[in-house]
Amino acid sequence: MVGRKNKRMIVLFLIPAIFIYVMVFIYPVFRTFIMSFFAVEAIEQPFYQWTFAGLDNYIGLFGIDLFNRSVTNYLTLWFVGGIAVLFLGMVYAVILTSGVRLKRFWRAVIYLPNVISAIALGTMWINYVFRDIDGLFDRAVNLMGGQTPVMWTGPYMGLWSLLIAYCFGMVGYIMLTFISGIEKISDEYYESASIEGANIFHKFFFITLPLIRGVVRSNIVIWTVSLGTGVFAWSFMFSPNNLTLPFTMPPNYMREIIFGGRGSAVIQRDSGSAAAVGILMALLVVVISVAASLITRRDDVEM
Amino acid sequence: MARSVSTREPIKIRKDLRLAPGYLLCGVWALFTFLLIGWTIAASLVTPREIFGGDVLGAFFERLVNFDLVFNNYVLAWGAQNLSRFFVNSVIYSVISLTLIIIIAAPASYALSRFKFRFNAVVQGITSIAMGVPAVMIIMPIFSLATAMRATGSRTTLIFLYIGMNVPFTIFYLLPFFKNLPSGLEEAAAVDGCSPVRTFWRIMFPLAQPGIITVTIFNFITIWNEFFISMIFANDAAIRPIAVGLFNMVQGMRYAGHWGAMFASAVIVFAPTFILFIFLSNKILASVTGGAIKG
Repeated sequence: MVGRKNKRMIVLFLIPAIFIYVMVFIYPVFRTFIMSFFAVEAIEQPFYQWTFAGLDNYIGLFGIDLFNRSVTNYLTLWFVGGIAVLFLGMVYAVILTSGVRLKRFWRAVIYLPNVISAIALGTMWINYVFRDIDGLFDRAVNLMGGQTPVMWTGPYMGLWSLLIAYCFGMVGYIMLTFISGIEKISDEYYESASIEGANIFHKFFFITLPLIRGVVRSNIVIWTVSLGTGVFAWSFMFSPNNLTLPFTMPPNYMREIIFGGRGSAVIQRDSGSAAAVGILMALLVVVISVAASLITRRDDVEM
Repeated sequence: MARSVSTREPIKIRKDLRLAPGYLLCGVWALFTFLLIGWTIAASLVTPREIFGGDVLGAFFERLVNFDLVFNNYVLAWGAQNLSRFFVNSVIYSVISLTLIIIIAAPASYALSRFKFRFNAVVQGITSIAMGVPAVMIIMPIFSLATAMRATGSRTTLIFLYIGMNVPFTIFYLLPFFKNLPSGLEEAAAVDGCSPVRTFWRIMFPLAQPGIITVTIFNFITIWNEFFISMIFANDAAIRPIAVGLFNMVQGMRYAGHWGAMFASAVIVFAPTFILFIFLSNKILASVTGGAIKG
């Protein structure tokens, strides 16, 4: 069926996209991978100036406190934030598919933070919600008789505040994916369950949850992928002048060792290690994706 | 796709009572969201002294009834603090990238969705993987390449990256739109002597327009808010897009005590995507789940 004319058209139509794939994805991924095994100081250095270093970059990274802290921070955010966001996304998806009025309105409001620039959102959170004494949270704490200022953006609460602000924006996105999964479930299941006398919790645990396992897996992957770049802006907002322990994250640490510190001269430029950071972050995405598909493998509904 | 809209449902007390906890949770979330955005807008229209006075909403309403809102905050942010330049930069980047993304992605998506050929599955596979490749994996080689070509800190590099980062999702998103078009269209056009390329641009592309518009809105939001790549590749103040511009401005204004202007800048930055969302939320939300089906 594919004629000669069509063949020429297919090639013509695919060349620009394939060029993009090669230039922006395939070549960079391979070069970053190779670079992570070489000692490279400046990012501009051409390949012939690199010296092979085996796993030194990786081993070296785990000897640096700032990097280790960035990994701990990142994994804490990934794990605690992931549970919170998936839980809240699921709760709101179940509510919005249970027949509430104004469904489209609630859905739009909960999704809203996703369309707002992280920098604008961060400005609001830090300078209004988390502000000492007359910020929203301190006032709420005060009202309930707690001790203020809590110092939401300080070293003790900082990471948790970042987590709350970041997760607030992500719930809507995860919720939407859950809603689209739940809406594909036939109403008949719920109707016959109702006849048998099942309540909302029975329905959730015995119908909804088993049938949207595939969506849970997708959402775990979405959460993991989006965190990698999403967290960069938030770390910058909470710690605008230099890397600080409570807010440092791997992509921010990576930027710092590629281009040198913001203000602080302590950090050595080390592009080879920066590549290793990139590989480690990609590895997390791959491991989580595989693990998620293993855990939720036996699901009957292909989403 | 279109679900039946259940507006003007008669009031059923028992059902609504059963759903009360759901309404409560939705209400709490919505209240907080409105407070966050409403307070920011209010703070952008009062003086720094009033912001520190604690009662921003009170001060805002008092000024509102007296026609005395501090629009000077916006004048300061837009003019003196150069937000206008970053805004124009981002508009230019968006218009060029969004156009080129469609010119590159729509034909590719069409070829992949309607024709069987040897590497079809491979290209589609790379598309899916590319959507999950973290940006940290690609910035370094591109940066060295740009350095070799003396193109670091250039608008072209930025636009090239905005295009590259959004092409995979756009191809992926448009696949079903082309696939679902009637199958006899190409043959009919060929009988009339229309070449395959012309058939695409004249017949298939216009028919896929709903998908193209939706994905372009979505891409616009992504590019307008993009921060990571811009932060790496737009060191020079003259070429900064709006998110990076805002970041630098916020830090500067905090030190200078221009609190009203700081919130005004934040409002200016989120206004375009916010307004777009108010009018087109259904279209945008449809595009989100369209892309999320395969994570």
